[in-house]
Amino acid sequence: MNTTSAWRQRTPRDWERYVNKQVHVTAHGQQQHRGWLHTVDPVTASVVLVRLGDAAGGCSVSVVMGHAVEQVEVVGEADEETAMRLSSLFRPKEREARAGGGGGE
Amino acid sequence: SISACNEPGTDAGSLQTEQHARSMMRERFLRCLLSMANKQIQFDMYERVKVNATFGASDIDVLNFQVSDLQTPIGVQSEALIRCQDVISYSFDM
Repeated sequence: MNTTSAWRQRTPRDWERYVNKQVHVTAHGQQQHRGWLHTVDPVTASVVLVRLGDAAGGCSVSVVMGHAVEQVEVVGEADEETAMRLSSLFRPKEREARAGGGGGE
Repeated sequence: SISACNEPGTDAGSLQTEQHARSMMRERFLRCLLSMANKQIQFDMYERVKVNATFGASDIDVLNFQVSDLQTPIGVQSEALIRCQDVISYSFDM
């Protein structure tokens, strides 16, 4: 089965469909990774997965190298708030300061 | 390694959509790499090797990672390059 190269040979628009989805990634050696898909590097096909913590707090990030990805399965959709958190995750500080000013709830 | 959309009938509009998708995802990836600088990263490599190191930088093609204090089973290497093709996945906390 040649699933590894199948993932790498997809087009950017195929990968884009997985952005902000909750996914289950199977990597080489049956390694399992689960999380929100933040992005796919269009050059290496590497998958950036995020497991979000509390609303205020940290999160953990896993990156599966494109050459080791065997299967990507969508298991959930992000709501608006989750999508916002995902897109602002690695943004530069100045935007973070602007967005973080009023968050009371 | 950059694949372009070569389907017949590809027009300027769909090329633009593809370029937009590509640039959005690449930017997200590069910002993720940036945020890893000076963080403790765990690398899962082939042959069930797991190592920890402090991330320094990556080259633009993501072929090598430059790391410090690489904790290997036979000792700590103060500076090292990790070949990306030897890595299955890596993880860190934000």
